[in-house]
Amino acid sequence: MIICPNCQHENVEGAVYCVECGAQIDGVETLVTKAITDQEIEEELKKKAPRPEADSVPANSWLSLHLMDSGKILPLASRNEFTLGRLSEGQPIMPDIDLTPYQAYASGVSRLHAVVKRDASSVVVMDLGSSNGTYLNGRRLNPHLEEALSHGDIVALGKLKIQILLRDI
Amino acid sequence: MPAYQQDYYAVLSVSRDASPEEIKRAYLEAAQKLHPDKNKAAGETELFLGVQQAYETLSNPDRRSKYDATLPPEENVALPYRHKIIQSRPSLGKLNEPQMHYLILEIGPPADADKSSSPPLNVALVIDRSTSMAGQKMDVVKATAIQVLRNLRPQDILSVITFSDRAEVIIPAAYHQERTKLEPGILAIQPAGATEIFHGLEAGVEEIMRSVDAKRVNHIILLTDGHTYGDEQQCLALAAKLAEQGVGISGMGIGGEWNDIFLDALSTSTGGSSAHISDPHDIKRILPEKFNALTQTFAEEATLEVRPVEGVEVSYVFRLQPDPSPIPAAGNKYRLGGILQDMPTRAIFEYIIQPKAVKSEALTFMDGTLKVSMGTQPLPIPPWRIRLTSSVSDTPPAGSPPAEIHQALSRLTLYRMQERARKEIERGNFDTATRQLQMLADNLMSQGERSLAHTVAFELDSLKNQRSLSEEGSKKMKYGTRSLFLASPKKELVQ
Repeated sequence: MIICPNCQHENVEGAVYCVECGAQIDGVETLVTKAITDQEIEEELKKKAPRPEADSVPANSWLSLHLMDSGKILPLASRNEFTLGRLSEGQPIMPDIDLTPYQAYASGVSRLHAVVKRDASSVVVMDLGSSNGTYLNGRRLNPHLEEALSHGDIVALGKLKIQILLRDI
Repeated sequence: MPAYQQDYYAVLSVSRDASPEEIKRAYLEAAQKLHPDKNKAAGETELFLGVQQAYETLSNPDRRSKYDATLPPEENVALPYRHKIIQSRPSLGKLNEPQMHYLILEIGPPADADKSSSPPLNVALVIDRSTSMAGQKMDVVKATAIQVLRNLRPQDILSVITFSDRAEVIIPAAYHQERTKLEPGILAIQPAGATEIFHGLEAGVEEIMRSVDAKRVNHIILLTDGHTYGDEQQCLALAAKLAEQGVGISGMGIGGEWNDIFLDALSTSTGGSSAHISDPHDIKRILPEKFNALTQTFAEEATLEVRPVEGVEVSYVFRLQPDPSPIPAAGNKYRLGGILQDMPTRAIFEYIIQPKAVKSEALTFMDGTLKVSMGTQPLPIPPWRIRLTSSVSDTPPAGSPPAEIHQALSRLTLYRMQERARKEIERGNFDTATRQLQMLADNLMSQGERSLAHTVAFELDSLKNQRSLSEEGSKKMKYGTRSLFLASPKKELVQ
């Protein structure tokens, strides 16, 4: 199987162009799912990320995700709970936030990786039993246990680092 | 003396390992066509005698094996055409998952071909004269038909048929001494009535059959601008019969209100192709071009017949040139259409090979026979046995496929994206379709096909708002992505 580096679509061995997005895929190495070591993740996390300006967050969202590698900011609103992960074909459960465009596959993000939600007083993150784990400021979280978040915290899904930008609740 | 080896198998047009049943069937078919009571052309009685002689030898196992011993190996049979096969990879991998393999088959005239001798035409021009054709469309069609008539060679036969809810023969199929006298008949065509293609097609077939002859290019050109209702199946059944008799169909749709999927199925089942004429003025160019191509015929027909191989599926076949078009399978047969003198025919085959087929060291993934009919050759051409065996290595070979395959697939991928998007819309999967079209638009844009990219972007809006594509737009996408295969894209079609 050849996984398209552009859209992560799984193509049959011997394919020359991705049937999903049309990208050229011959010469791309056949990929296998691999676990990322804790050390690799910690090294990644040591690299400092720039702090974005607070006013770049739109007013109507209670939470924004700052994708630190790409610098993209995803403002979230209208719901109190969002699951994070990546879309993959043929999978019945889909994450609310698809991180595929941000190199989720290469960073070791699981299909259903973690959830962020808010209640009356706080915003929490919880790992959903992901393969490569969820880290809060470099500390690995226990799966299925909620952990409180504060503004500026860095959550890592595998190697994908996301800075949490909160508005006052 | 023909330039190629003439043997009994060629006379019956069967391969060397044909079963006694196949030989018998081939004999009956040939004998029916060539019987002195029925045959029309000069020399067919002689061919009939040859067929009988061949059958007498091959139907008897003793005589057949003695005869076989005198023949040169089948793979070395000399053929009167040039052929080439390009494969995507030098070997297959011993994998536990399916793998794809591509090959391009190219057939063309030999370098020393005599370009002056091309077979005479037997063409029926079937014109839709329904009410919607009134005005400019009909005027251009009439003017172009007259121009085509004037440009014919003396040996060519052209019949002209119009149809609405019934058909009318304007010019019957025959040799005409003074063609200018036929022109008023064309000028007098008046648009009125509905579109019922089957009537037109049936009348066209009747005219074609008056002078059908293996030594001619027998072809029906169907010009329409509307949907036909309820007679599609009849039309397709007729087309399948025509294909067996060596008659091709080219469909030309004017404007946006016609059924491209039907017209495509109708033409490709005979080895022909369909075309989209967006602006009626283009008829002036496209129709004479079609006649010109038919006049440049080197071989009237090429058909590939394949035997099924366990674990190997021919998943897609597409003619890259001369007329880019998908080629549907008719049973085990793939009709590749006529071969032109100035442009070899090229088709790409996609195979999906299952793990169970690659258990041993080598796999014969293709076992087929190519039959080519050439009116300019006095005797039947031996079928070309194509047997392709690929070695199986433990890992799939690294590296890129040859440039020809690369180039063909880069365009085929785009064509198939719009094809898939339309299928997904039919199934109601609008999100998948939207994603495919978005990717298609991005790809076209990055390749500099701006106008086609805009057409796709426009259809994306239509999909978002109306959950369907526009009639005109979906045709522009289809024929636009097809025209990308040609060296000089027909820009007018994709605006």
